[in-house]
Amino acid sequence: MKIMIIDDSTAMRMIVRKTLRVAGFEGHEFSEFDDAKKALAAIKASHPDLILSDWNMPNMTGIELIEALAKEGIKIKFGFVTTEATPDMRQRAAAAGASFLIAKPFTADSFKETLGGHIK
Amino acid sequence: MNAFLHGEERRAKPPVLKGFEHVRRFWSPRNGAWTAKILPGEFFVTNNDEVVTTILGSCISVCMRDPQLRVGGMNHFMLPEDRSTGVSSWLQGPGGLATRYGSHAMESLINELMKLGAARERLEVKLFGGARILSSMTDVGANNITFAREFLGLERFAIVAEDVGGSRPRHVDYFPASGRVMLKHLQALSAPAIASQESRYSERLGQERSGDDVELFG
Repeated sequence: MKIMIIDDSTAMRMIVRKTLRVAGFEGHEFSEFDDAKKALAAIKASHPDLILSDWNMPNMTGIELIEALAKEGIKIKFGFVTTEATPDMRQRAAAAGASFLIAKPFTADSFKETLGGHIK
Repeated sequence: MNAFLHGEERRAKPPVLKGFEHVRRFWSPRNGAWTAKILPGEFFVTNNDEVVTTILGSCISVCMRDPQLRVGGMNHFMLPEDRSTGVSSWLQGPGGLATRYGSHAMESLINELMKLGAARERLEVKLFGGARILSSMTDVGANNITFAREFLGLERFAIVAEDVGGSRPRHVDYFPASGRVMLKHLQALSAPAIASQESRYSERLGQERSGDDVELFG
């Protein structure tokens, strides 16, 4: 599977990668982006199977990204991994077609439980 | 003491940003400003001319501001002890509970500043705390310092000032608008009370469980 991780924080991208490994998701092709705008261009070019994205980012937020994808009719499994997760945000994520939302600081167990159905 | 001696009349309490209503704020004649006091595990961000204050034992506080916009804030945290791997460091891989929690504390502060328009590349960073005041086998304070420095390095933030380590607790007043810091090393006498507050915080961190951290849609 091609998994794309989008987070403006280098530390967070490292943590997500490591947590995926600890949760047992190995042997996948990972790509990382620190900017959702750049990621959007890459998604159109490479069509990843799963996107794990932060919410709050400069230039373009995670929710703007998934809304942009929906507008262009691009259907890719999309999950948020985010620091902030208000009821409003959860609702907006679901409405935009996100599959799940993982709030930081998450555990490897919550990754396993959430992603088990999405990562083959 | 009258207000005149301090040169500052008590001003109207500035509005508080959404999400920080729980933080206690008081008028400080010494600071000549409204002052928000943060406790272990809390953080505070402001775009007003006010002060953020805290007392640190082995905990660490990272102060950040955007000098151009005069917005800034401070957090106050420690790394939870990871019973599976011990207190982890970036050197042991960034997946441990400790680094996840610490990064979360850092990102929360950075996110709120960015919401106020602060630019990552302009953020000016100061670092305080990490004393060795708890009588435990591991030097919790040193681990907190290591984590903060490694996180900031990884995210390419330069630390422009710091006062860390040692054995005495610290009282920190941070003025986000100007970047000014007033730091006082406290008597060792105050250490037990601060240590016990930090122990309670540390226990709470150990008990925090997952459960609310995942939501599946549809």
